[in-house]
Amino acid sequence: MRIADKMQYNQVQKNISKNRTDMADLQNQAATQRRINKPSDDPLATTRVLASRTEEKTNAQFVKNINQAKSFLEFSDQSLSELTELLVRAKELAISQSNDASANAQSRAMTAKEIEQIYNQAVQIGNRKLGERYIFSGFKTQTMPFDISGEYSGDDGDLKIQTQKDQFLAVNLPGSKIFMGKGFEVDGMIRPGQITPQSIDDLEGIKQRELESKELYQEDQDSKILLRGPASTGSSNQIGDKDPTNGDTGVNIFQVIKGLEVSLKTNDKTGIQSAMDLIDQSVSQVVLGRSEVGSRIMAINGSQDSLQKAIVDNKIVASQLEDADVFKLVSDINKTDAALKATLDTSGKMIQPSLLDFLR
Amino acid sequence: MSKISSMMDVGKRSLSNAQTALQTVSHNIANKSTEGYSRQRVDLVTNEPIGSGNLRIGMGARASQVSRVNNPWLEKQIQREQMNLGQAETKADALGRVEQVYNEQGTKGLNHQMNEFFNSFRELSNTPESLASRTMVRESASTLVQTFKNMNKQLKDVQTDLDGQIKTTTEEINQIAKEIASLNEKIQLVEVQNVPANDERDRRDLLVKKLGEKIDITWGEGNNGMLTITAGNTAILVSGTSSNELKAAHTDERDRVELFYRSTEKGSLFNITNQVRGGKIGGALEVRDDIIEKHLDTIDNLAYRMAEEVNYAHESGYDRYGKTNNSFFDLPKNVKGASETLSINEAIQLDAGKVSVAARPDSPGDNTIANIIGALQYQKVMDEGNSTLDDYYISQVGQIGTISQRAVKTFESQKNILDQLTNIRESISGVSLDEEATKMIEMQKAYDASARLIRTADEMFDTVLNLKRM
Repeated sequence: MRIADKMQYNQVQKNISKNRTDMADLQNQAATQRRINKPSDDPLATTRVLASRTEEKTNAQFVKNINQAKSFLEFSDQSLSELTELLVRAKELAISQSNDASANAQSRAMTAKEIEQIYNQAVQIGNRKLGERYIFSGFKTQTMPFDISGEYSGDDGDLKIQTQKDQFLAVNLPGSKIFMGKGFEVDGMIRPGQITPQSIDDLEGIKQRELESKELYQEDQDSKILLRGPASTGSSNQIGDKDPTNGDTGVNIFQVIKGLEVSLKTNDKTGIQSAMDLIDQSVSQVVLGRSEVGSRIMAINGSQDSLQKAIVDNKIVASQLEDADVFKLVSDINKTDAALKATLDTSGKMIQPSLLDFLR
Repeated sequence: MSKISSMMDVGKRSLSNAQTALQTVSHNIANKSTEGYSRQRVDLVTNEPIGSGNLRIGMGARASQVSRVNNPWLEKQIQREQMNLGQAETKADALGRVEQVYNEQGTKGLNHQMNEFFNSFRELSNTPESLASRTMVRESASTLVQTFKNMNKQLKDVQTDLDGQIKTTTEEINQIAKEIASLNEKIQLVEVQNVPANDERDRRDLLVKKLGEKIDITWGEGNNGMLTITAGNTAILVSGTSSNELKAAHTDERDRVELFYRSTEKGSLFNITNQVRGGKIGGALEVRDDIIEKHLDTIDNLAYRMAEEVNYAHESGYDRYGKTNNSFFDLPKNVKGASETLSINEAIQLDAGKVSVAARPDSPGDNTIANIIGALQYQKVMDEGNSTLDDYYISQVGQIGTISQRAVKTFESQKNILDQLTNIRESISGVSLDEEATKMIEMQKAYDASARLIRTADEMFDTVLNLKRM
């Protein structure tokens, strides 16, 4: 083949520029420590990197959510444990005043004072706040749930927090359930609404169902007969049974304590004895509530562990996809460097001599 | 019978032949680096011999013509490949810039901001009572809106840039067309005398290649040696000694540059934008009108659908003041341009308390709507319920990555093809210094010998003239 001068120059230029381009590319990879610096470097991997980054950040948000939920649940648990202690103390007092051998009208009147204190403390527990939020008032976190007469002004809302991609968890127990005994399941358990609406259409459906059940409830309420005063309300309550007076399936703790206090004040021995049963029921109601809280804490601990693992996994996936293999990179750089030097060396030899250099 | 005078004559002609050849060598050496130059050769032929008796005596050589060493079919092939290269180069270049709009390796792009937006709602659902969380939601939304706007602008910037390229390229095309027309004239003038117009043809070949690099052309050479060049299907750029201009101008219909052709001085403008597929302009048009438009549509679509879905959820919620039916975004009127016109509702802009979080009125702790909006990220709301917002966007990134990667590869392989063809061309037409040096020595020697011949003839004359004195 006939070799013209320009061919040589073109070739030299092309080769040097190719080696330099390779080198610049490798250097860029080394500097960023990344194999992918723009989508066209590896389109498929780029999309997977983006997806895994989204997941990583969302998971980090879920971890935040979980921490928030945990402090809420733990605070609820602590409050309920205090409530249990109060109830146990009330029971002790009731036992001590339940027979005439160890008690009389005077001691009962004295004990009534302590029970009043216990009642006040129970109301205070019902009004506990975590930060700026009442924990037992459902959605109405800015409204004090219980006044001193034990009237509830919160609602039955479940504060739901997203702990995983498709998982929502209620973090609160509405006071209406745990204190007032309303809205229990047939087995006496407290459960949040099972379905968490994830779209407006879900929400509309749920609202519709709520409306229907409210109407049923109202009908139910209207057919009830009001019985005697507060001392006897809830007296026939058994867990799982509906109270004929108000249709509740649990007991109203405030009324139970109030009832004990009234019985003590009026020196009503049978009243005190029946109150003991009710206190037992109250304790088991609170304990069931605590077990619900405990099981939720366990559930989110599990979520947290799996999230932490997922975060690490995601980092690994993204790293495998986008990070440069440093050993390979260094060896590639050395190879390219050698090639570049060889190109420069041979280029010098190739360009230099022509016949003219030998003519003298 | 041989004559001393004719010997002298042969010597003289040989001297001038050698000189012509040497001058051509010098022309070759001088044009060693001239783009598009083909090496030239002096074609020497023997002179008609003279017959005397039964002898036919050679009368030396004469230079018949100076010709260029060139393969016209190869030139045509190079021209075609150069057209493909021009297109591939512009495409790879422009797509590289489009790709940067979607590049999130190092910068925070739409994927990141969209995620932040949904996460801010998740954070809000932790503390629905807090005004700070609502403000966070508003801020992340405003960053998201800004990101949409930026992407829209960056993509349009690339389009505007391509408009500029089309304009300058058109001017270059007109310049080249004019020069080719004048070369046509020169070549005809020279070649009518049966002399090849080497340098002019080299220059014209080069210009045709350059023209093809800019726009797709078809061309043919007439019997008179003049080229007729057509751009696209109908726009005759050069015909004989006259050239027509292309015009690149904005149109009323859309705010983009289009190409027009005017066949006569007073004729009407004819839009040839759709005819152009090749060359730099073809590449620029493809990226500008096809690829970028499509990507603008998809981010418009994304912005619109997202705003629509967020609004739908938001409007059924209740804000801090127990009011319902608040829009979060001001939904643009049309999907087209949504990424540019999207904005946060003014009421929310002024008061973050208007962000609706609750599904019931007067329930400050209710986070149902925030949860629903957060969950939107995983709802399949794009492509008729086939993909989520994230999927939809990420697949766009993948697509632009693939297109750009392919364009770069096409460009590289096209460049290789052209490099090889150019190599072959240089191997045929390129100047080799070694060769020229050899030729120079050869001709110098011929020159020396011719001079010696004349001297010998001179001495022979002397000898003859001095015969009598002896």
